[in-house]
Amino acid sequence: MKTVLKLGVSAAFCLGSLAYPALAEDNIVKIGVVAAESGSFVSAGHTLPAGVGLAVKQINDAGGIKVGGKTYKLEMVKRDDRTDIATAIAATQELVRDVKVQAIFGSETHDFTLAMAKITQPAKIIHFAGNSTLAKILTPDSVKPGGEDHYLFQSEPQEFQRSGSTASGVLTLLEPLLGYKPKKSVMIVGNDATGQFLSSYYFKALKAEGQDVPDIIFYPPDTTDFSPFLTRAKSLNPDIIHFWYNGDSTLTALPQALELGAAKSYFLFGVDPGIWKEKQLSADVPVAMSCVPVCWGESSNPKAKAYFDAYFAAGAPHGVTSSVSLLYHDYVHFLAEAWEKAGSFDPDKTVEALLTLHHQGVVSDDLTFNPTHQVTHATEVCAAAPGGDISCSMQQPPAEAPKS
Amino acid sequence: MRAVDIFIQQILNGLSIASVITLIAVGVTLIFGLTGIINFAHGEFLMIGGIVTWLAVSAGLGFPLAAVLAILAVGLMGYILERGIFRFTLERPTNGFIVSLGLIVVLQHVVVLFWNPNQKSIPRPLTTVWEVGGVRIASVRVMVILITVAVVALSFRMITASRYGRALRASVEDRDTAALMGIPVRRYITGVFVLGSALAGLGGALLIALFPITPFTGGTMVMKGFAVALIGGLGNIYGAVAAGLILGIVEGFSAGYGFSQWTDAYSFVLMILVLLFRPHGLFGGTSGPRMAS
Repeated sequence: MKTVLKLGVSAAFCLGSLAYPALAEDNIVKIGVVAAESGSFVSAGHTLPAGVGLAVKQINDAGGIKVGGKTYKLEMVKRDDRTDIATAIAATQELVRDVKVQAIFGSETHDFTLAMAKITQPAKIIHFAGNSTLAKILTPDSVKPGGEDHYLFQSEPQEFQRSGSTASGVLTLLEPLLGYKPKKSVMIVGNDATGQFLSSYYFKALKAEGQDVPDIIFYPPDTTDFSPFLTRAKSLNPDIIHFWYNGDSTLTALPQALELGAAKSYFLFGVDPGIWKEKQLSADVPVAMSCVPVCWGESSNPKAKAYFDAYFAAGAPHGVTSSVSLLYHDYVHFLAEAWEKAGSFDPDKTVEALLTLHHQGVVSDDLTFNPTHQVTHATEVCAAAPGGDISCSMQQPPAEAPKS
Repeated sequence: MRAVDIFIQQILNGLSIASVITLIAVGVTLIFGLTGIINFAHGEFLMIGGIVTWLAVSAGLGFPLAAVLAILAVGLMGYILERGIFRFTLERPTNGFIVSLGLIVVLQHVVVLFWNPNQKSIPRPLTTVWEVGGVRIASVRVMVILITVAVVALSFRMITASRYGRALRASVEDRDTAALMGIPVRRYITGVFVLGSALAGLGGALLIALFPITPFTGGTMVMKGFAVALIGGLGNIYGAVAAGLILGIVEGFSAGYGFSQWTDAYSFVLMILVLLFRPHGLFGGTSGPRMAS
């Protein structure tokens, strides 16, 4: 009987130790990243491991994190979701159940994140995602202790904030370049869950700025020939065509729009002026661009240069949406600070710390989460004049969502 | 802009869409229809053609030479893959199909590994835009349409009127008998595969002349290529051209006047309807060659 008991105790001990392997192996804390490193979302996706990896290196180079009197190093474990939701779900399950990560970052694709949260939240894994669609599920009820999304954090401003600051910035920067106040806008939007969600907010933001928006033209994802969509937009004689939201698609569409003379000016969501300059793009009409959230090519943010120098020095390619990395990089540092403050990796104590901290990040000197686990910060908007000069400014978000 | 100008512009847009799809579909219809090899990696062949063009133009070569290099490189790749892989799957086309699915992932990741996943583009080889009334015509699109017409006409003539084409069609009808008549069937299969691959190389060169490409560009294009090939009738180049035109115009007009978000769906709805009511395609085609026993 004693032998059976001893075996039982030994087995329980072994199983117990297996439950926290992330902490048991040489004081290593594993952080998971699920992102599209291949597939149609790759240009945004590859920025996630690059941004998280840079933060992990910076923290480890500075000596690691001190939690409960012990020093820990961080280790990033990344998985490619191949821009496929089933792969993203399987990768999340593996990271949570097998790798036993302490936190997960990703994915960059909105509906993927909603599916991933169904795995991370019951497992009490701290989960950061730079997706404004999380507003659908982050409610006071869902984030309260014991709520179904208590450990989920949105590292991108609420969509009415991002859309509001973007619309305001685009119109403000284009007006002097056009020489008159633009009145009519047409939106051209990728037809997927993200595009439909984002465009509904941007449409309201444009209306709130007094724009006449006669049409939102949706195109199938992976479209390459935009000429019929642009011809349709041209028939409406717009002052501005606004391209939302896939930067690669936008860069494909713009030369075609310029050839067709589809509008008097353009706005390219999520296209960095760095790419504009690097590809030696030019236009005979004004072109506004926005970054999510801060540009690497021509930023008005004083911290951006140092960040992007380190980011590209670490091997990340100059991408159309390299700035998306900042929706993740800052929050690895934020999380590390929260663990140190909590003095524990306990997820409930970590959430408490995350909600009370004011973190100095690259994006903002005062990053905080609101009671529904969402951040607020400015968005950078730039405009290229027909001559090629680019000017940028950080646009603060509106305090409230538009009424209608 | 007048309504009639918009209408004419949309027809031109449709022709432009049709030209690229047709070029892919001709490659697909030749390989699938005449050799029985179901190569879903044909879109990646197209992508490789675009990458070769990008590399050549980046190295300072002009577009025409870059396009020739793309044709040769992808043709050579087709030769190596046919001789090294696909010829061993001829008796079991399903194996070839699965192999081609694997090739998609391999080729995409090879390109990502060496040249990163970002978009690649080249300066437009022709930049003139003509304005006729309210209609704008980009010279680069006219170039693509003319090259497509010339290449398709040449392929059509080769398949229908040359000795090689007659022997090839005989092989499709009955491989065993064709072999007994002294036709080197296996060599002809390799030839068709290389020709189809080379056309994909040209398609990639023309595609990157029009639009930026990524390592993942091939997927959507090849699906449409297969749809057009099936609608037109397998192995029927004339059918592929006609189906490509129909599809290009339908896509152009649906995006311009209809439910734009459904643009991609029309080609596949059309394909399903055609396969239900005319299994050999609108213009007749092979049902794929009978396998040698």
